[in-house]
Amino acid sequence: MLTVRFRRSTLGRMRLSPKLGSMAREWTGIQQFPLATQTKLLELLGKLKEKERDSLTILVMGKGGVGKSSTVNSILGERAVAVSAFQSDVPRPVMVSRERSGFTLNIIDTPGIVEGGYVNDQALDLIKRFLLNKTIDVLLYVDRLDAYRVDNLDRQIVKAITESFGKEMWHKGVVVLTHAQLTPPDCLSYDEFFARRSEALLKVVNSGVRFKKREIKGHSIPVVLVENSSRCNKNDSDEKILPNGTAWIPSIVETITKVATNESKSILVDQKLIDGPNANDRGKLFIPLILAFQYFFVVKRVQNWIADDIKKEPKSPWE
Amino acid sequence: MRLQELISFGNNWEVSMASQFIREWSGIQQFPLATQDKLLELLGRLKEKKKDRLMILVMGKGGVGKSSTVNSIIGEREVTVSAFQSEAPRPTMVSWERSGFTLNVIDTPGIVEGGYINSQALDIIKRFLLNKTIDVLLYVDRLHAYRVDSLDGKIVKAISNSFGQEIWHRAILVLTHAQLSPPDCLSYDEFLARRSEALLKVVHHGARFKKKDIQKFSILVGLVENSSRCNKNEKDEKILPNGTAWIPSIVETITKVALTESTGIMVDQKLIDGPNPNDRGKLFIPLILAFQYFFVLQPLQRSIKNDVKNEVNSKWE
Repeated sequence: MLTVRFRRSTLGRMRLSPKLGSMAREWTGIQQFPLATQTKLLELLGKLKEKERDSLTILVMGKGGVGKSSTVNSILGERAVAVSAFQSDVPRPVMVSRERSGFTLNIIDTPGIVEGGYVNDQALDLIKRFLLNKTIDVLLYVDRLDAYRVDNLDRQIVKAITESFGKEMWHKGVVVLTHAQLTPPDCLSYDEFFARRSEALLKVVNSGVRFKKREIKGHSIPVVLVENSSRCNKNDSDEKILPNGTAWIPSIVETITKVATNESKSILVDQKLIDGPNANDRGKLFIPLILAFQYFFVVKRVQNWIADDIKKEPKSPWE
Repeated sequence: MRLQELISFGNNWEVSMASQFIREWSGIQQFPLATQDKLLELLGRLKEKKKDRLMILVMGKGGVGKSSTVNSIIGEREVTVSAFQSEAPRPTMVSWERSGFTLNVIDTPGIVEGGYINSQALDIIKRFLLNKTIDVLLYVDRLHAYRVDSLDGKIVKAISNSFGQEIWHRAILVLTHAQLSPPDCLSYDEFLARRSEALLKVVHHGARFKKKDIQKFSILVGLVENSSRCNKNEKDEKILPNGTAWIPSIVETITKVALTESTGIMVDQKLIDGPNPNDRGKLFIPLILAFQYFFVLQPLQRSIKNDVKNEVNSKWE
């Protein structure tokens, strides 16, 4: 039975910004999950409502082709966002909203921000405009588990996200590694491979965000594994599991919940945040000081010298 | 610069000395008998056509499986492979001999670094290849990837600019990580077809193949699975998800390309330097000079003479 409930605030938002995307529909996808998963998810939603949170906004970002849209579909339990193996992702950001027992889940899927070896500023711009006046509770930074190299391009991506939305966004960040059901390369166990891959990626993230050492210790960014393929192995309760046996859908939702309710505040993306610090404000305090300095030490001195020169000047015969 | 030149000279000298001490291809015995038979048969075919040596150049991005592929074909761990570290900073050549036939495989560092073509790596590769003749180019990329973008085009162009477009007439597209489960809604063969098509499109564009070139020199695709967890058939040969034993298969493709009629690519200084920009339009120089003399200089001189004649002389001259 499909019940569509219109919340006054949703409707109000719709009138103000028609670009909101789909209205909050009933989260029917949750019924696709096996009972064990459904139970865990509802439990986590309950925990959020206890903490007086009745909505959650998740932003999903990363390179192209890593599995952002697939992950969104997996979490929602339905094909909410179009996925195509070979075509580029969504050309513009899309927000999908689902409601369950008074709780609204908003997930924002974005286009990959890397194109041909460069950060795609156009895509980043579209994302910034889409996020204006929205509050982000969790950032999912998505990449593949089965990649072997981490390089400067990854750092550029992290920097671009930091410059666009501020360092604090990463206090609400989760690193998501897709294609988790892999056979590791020779000589490495799955856990060893996972550990080294996470380590390499986190190092680059910390470097790109320019976290200071004490900040890294205080807020280490969690890493979660995801396997979106329908060929994902399942346990006896029919839940999709990782090679180490964990049911990954409740696991990622639990991590999201933890990060959403951690001490850091959610990020409100306002015009000021997007524009970044006003370059004209830098060092404004120095202006009166410099003016005073110039007056007393430069202007006055030069005037004195000119006066002196006038006095000392010999008068010509015709004056 | 002098120090670099000395070092590279030293390297080239070492390599040319080393190739004199070519080792017996013992790695071939690592393969199961069925594979060994097929490989020896292919070597025989090459020798029939009077080809007793083969030079294979392996290039591509970093982390795609170039060194692993070289090790798999040779049958032993000749080149160091590490999952997370960048590859060797310089190219290495592995030379093996078997029944009078010499196989040389050149493994190179990945030429992409952080979203850019690594010109330094490309330079080192060019210098390494000076005066060598390349029979086959293995352009390596992963089968298990979903996007192809302008960066791939840049890599192809960089290779064309360095070694000439003809190298693509002797190229094989090698796709690693071939033992994959395809994404939902696509069969393995469909996925393979679309991935190859996307990559070949980029290669044709970057190599500036015209339509007739594409038909004449269609680039063959080879699949590779370097993991020891690769599935095996009853004869203990490593096989792809479609059942083919891939090691003989790729060596057969290499043989086919090596036996094409055109000669291998000789990498000489001229090829590396590329066309001399000073030579462009040299023929026009005398024409332009003549034009300037007759149509610009002469009329100017005449106008000046006319002005001098027509000039009114002042009183004091």
